[in-house]
Amino acid sequence: MIYARIIRNEVARKKGAMLVVFAFILLASLLVAGGAALIVELNSSLNRLFADAKAPHFVQMHTGEIDPAAVDAWAEGNSLVDEFQIAEMISVDGSSLFLSDSEAPQENSIMDISFVAQNERFDYLLDMDNRRLDLEPGEIGVPVYYAEEKGVGAGDRVTVAGEGYSHEYTVTSLVRDAQMNPAIVHSKRFLLNAADFERLKADLPDREFLVEFRLTDPSRIDEFSSAYEDSALPQRGPAVDYQLFKILNALSDGIVAAVVIILSLVLMVIAGLCLRFTILATVEEDYREIGVMKAVGMPRGRIKGIYLAKYVALGGSAAALGYLASLPLTSLVTGNIARYMGRAPQGAAGLVVPMLAAATIFAMVVVSAMLVLRRFDRVSAVEALRAEARSEAPRPGRVLPLSAGRLFDINVFLGMRDALQRFRLFGLLTFVFFFAAGITLIPLHFLSTIRSPSFISYMGIGSSDIRVDLRQSDDIDERFEEVVEHIAADSEVARFAPLVTSLFTMVGENGETERLAVETGDFSVFPLDYLHGRAPRSHDEIALSYLNARDLDKKVGDTVTLRSGGGGGAGAGQADLRGNGNAGGARDLPMRVTGIYQDVTDGGRTAKAVLPPNRENLLASTVSLDVAPGTDVAAKMREYSELFAPARVTDLRSYLSQTLGNTIDGLVMVTAGATAVGMAVAVLITSLFLRMLISKDSKRIAVMKSIGFSLRSLRVQYLTTALVLLVIGIGAGSLFSNTIGQRLVGFVWGFMGASQIRFVIDPLQAYLIMPLLLMLTVAITTMVSIRGIKEQSIAATIAE
Amino acid sequence: MNTLLESKQLKKSYRLGKNNEVSVLKDVDLRIHEGEFVSIMGPSGSGKSTLLYNLCGMDRMSSGEVHFKDRELSRLSEKELARLRLTEMGFVFQQIHLLSNLSIFDNIILSGYLAKSTGRREVERRARELMDITGIAELAGNSIAQASGGQLQRVGICRALINEPQILFGDEPTGALDSRSATEIMDLLREVNDWGTTIMLVTHDVRVAARSDRVLFMIDGRIAAEKELGRYLGNGTSARAREEELSGWLLERAA
Repeated sequence: MIYARIIRNEVARKKGAMLVVFAFILLASLLVAGGAALIVELNSSLNRLFADAKAPHFVQMHTGEIDPAAVDAWAEGNSLVDEFQIAEMISVDGSSLFLSDSEAPQENSIMDISFVAQNERFDYLLDMDNRRLDLEPGEIGVPVYYAEEKGVGAGDRVTVAGEGYSHEYTVTSLVRDAQMNPAIVHSKRFLLNAADFERLKADLPDREFLVEFRLTDPSRIDEFSSAYEDSALPQRGPAVDYQLFKILNALSDGIVAAVVIILSLVLMVIAGLCLRFTILATVEEDYREIGVMKAVGMPRGRIKGIYLAKYVALGGSAAALGYLASLPLTSLVTGNIARYMGRAPQGAAGLVVPMLAAATIFAMVVVSAMLVLRRFDRVSAVEALRAEARSEAPRPGRVLPLSAGRLFDINVFLGMRDALQRFRLFGLLTFVFFFAAGITLIPLHFLSTIRSPSFISYMGIGSSDIRVDLRQSDDIDERFEEVVEHIAADSEVARFAPLVTSLFTMVGENGETERLAVETGDFSVFPLDYLHGRAPRSHDEIALSYLNARDLDKKVGDTVTLRSGGGGGAGAGQADLRGNGNAGGARDLPMRVTGIYQDVTDGGRTAKAVLPPNRENLLASTVSLDVAPGTDVAAKMREYSELFAPARVTDLRSYLSQTLGNTIDGLVMVTAGATAVGMAVAVLITSLFLRMLISKDSKRIAVMKSIGFSLRSLRVQYLTTALVLLVIGIGAGSLFSNTIGQRLVGFVWGFMGASQIRFVIDPLQAYLIMPLLLMLTVAITTMVSIRGIKEQSIAATIAE
Repeated sequence: MNTLLESKQLKKSYRLGKNNEVSVLKDVDLRIHEGEFVSIMGPSGSGKSTLLYNLCGMDRMSSGEVHFKDRELSRLSEKELARLRLTEMGFVFQQIHLLSNLSIFDNIILSGYLAKSTGRREVERRARELMDITGIAELAGNSIAQASGGQLQRVGICRALINEPQILFGDEPTGALDSRSATEIMDLLREVNDWGTTIMLVTHDVRVAARSDRVLFMIDGRIAAEKELGRYLGNGTSARAREEELSGWLLERAA
């Protein structure tokens, strides 16, 4: 068959180019199929985990006493409640928890650790086969997070020990927890046997309760949530729902899937450009043949068909292979899902969706080939036969005279000139360099931003040397006072600010209430950068986090109403907000919004005000402080850790690295991977492009050689051209990453509370090391790829 | 007269397949003197162009020796050969082979800039002078698409002469021109030779060859015959007489 023969001949003739195009289509198809598989797997695994665990639809956390009968009575009267339970948790401080025979406790861990017994009705903690885990005495189930991060495994010991007590358990299984699985959730549940749980309770007085509900209609969760808030039921702590669990669980893998799919689209664009370049080069070489085919009367469609057949075969086989290659690969990239959620049988969707994604890539190949082949329509038979007529001589006036390059070596100037003169031809290469620079720089910039201490300003925290965080407990008020007094008296402390976060009730325009976590204290000591406006200074001012401002639809100057005294169940008996002794019925206090700031902590929903805290509903108590000049921060941290135990004492860096450690680790991987991809793409395309270029330029090269240009001269010319294009690419890539890239990162992080991330750019890495690395790579690739100019015979080329 | 270029036992063969070697040049011995104007003639496929490309180092000989002044070409590196072509040799081709992305003026000065033997201003001055002499001064800023074949060949000659080479090689320099342009180019080459530049041409055109001092006749990879025509003094009648004499001689060779 004629098509098969033409395809064979073509492939043999353009092996290198075909291979590169093939590789790109394969890679694009592999990634898109992999990304699609990841999404399918994520979705099905998440649903299965939630089903197996019988995840609650609404959970109210509560610290302090609880009256089960009241909850029971309320639930009876609410038709939305299907089931409910009150789960008791023992809060274990990091300083009394020892993992896998380690001598050092989990003192500086940012996780809030709780020990629980298996729930009776729902919200089960599951084993690694997604079965409800029931333990024998002496056994413990450890969250998957600790297996991943701390390497805890079956057979290891976990010890809870403090003054006068010590409990030792053996890890028999890891625990999957639909509520608290992901690393970004800063609460973790360890599972004990019920009898062990009771014994531990006797030694550890700190309790937290989860008031959990499963609803008859989960879609009416908002309605239920409002009803609960308006009730007098316990609500000293945050409330979370089903949707949030799902989002938190899906977040990290979902971002991976999105990145993979975006990457595959970029690769597809490159594959498309390669295809265009290859087709155009082929068409140029086959110009006469095309003319002959037209001259003997072959219909245009048929000629196109011959060429198209090749790309259909190429794209089809590459896309199919990419899809097949994605099958074993998917199990690798979904490893994280498998560990945290367990694999679920996916049925046909797991195979069909990725196949459709790969087929889309194939369709894109065919369409782009057809678009380029439209060019055939413009070739007239006569014109094609007189191939000489196709001179690439530029129009006069556009020619940059040699005398303009007096300052440069003639070869360098010729190279620069060529880069500008044939810029359209070099579009592919420039785009690839742009891509390589962009894909490397965006994660690099973000990495240096997130690593820089100034990233603290996206966490709603002013910059200070040390942070002392007190855990929630019944005697927190006294303890906090002691800490503050001690710090105030410490001559080695230059300045400090006690900040207390507590829940307030906020009243909406229609009287509906919502709870707002408000940090109270003096915000002038450790000031924060505000997106808009400034910090609150007086009692009637409030600053909102970006996400709160967005959700509440508030701008600087707008008013938020906080309810004092008697408002909602939680507020019962609370002191007047402004501390002016006007105790009594509920009173609404209008607060003017003075500032909006970025905050990625606590789900991004925080606020700041200069008010006395709502002592009935404390969430966190913190003291930020700067040590006096000459004082050793580390020594001061050790001193306070001992003195204020079990308070958590961290410096800014360790606070950042603990909170963002996972993100930073992930980002380091992403940056390394992106750099590798960028370099690999640059190497591949540079080599493909230059090989084709010197074959296209063979005549020009021969002429130059004949009039005395040495190989070195010619190499300098091509190298200069490549480097000029690279510099343009890097310049455009830098510009892109500093503007649109920055906004892109801001857009993604906007969901977490920081919408306007400003890159803190490390100029050494971004503007010296990275460009030099790319230049070196491209220079070496160029030199290797143009070796062919040595073999080209002048006599043979010129005499043609 | 001093010898400028000399070949001894020059052989060139190409391998076409495993056991098929084609000899294009067979033991060519020749000697070109300084200031001489020599033409190589012969039927198609006799090896004229191959000889030319081997004498100037654009092609690597299979065996034998080519001496240019005191240097033996097969012992020179690619870099030294390139330098030799740049500064001491000039070339004019049938297809002219100008660089299409450069203006006419830039095509001429390019190798001058590259050679760096003099300053760039001096190169430009010399280019203008050459363009004046060859009658293309008004084309300086034009692109090559805006000139006729005859004009382009003058550009080619200017380019070849920019570095004041000792020898100018020509591969059918009038082959693609109409007869009037061809005559003008021939007169120009004669003039260049009068300045002292040695010229060696491959040509099919008797009128071109008749203007040279000596004609070498090649058949089947060898120099089969040689004819001394003596110095051409440049008037119309002597030209025609020389053409007739050469034609007669060529007829004898062909027979």
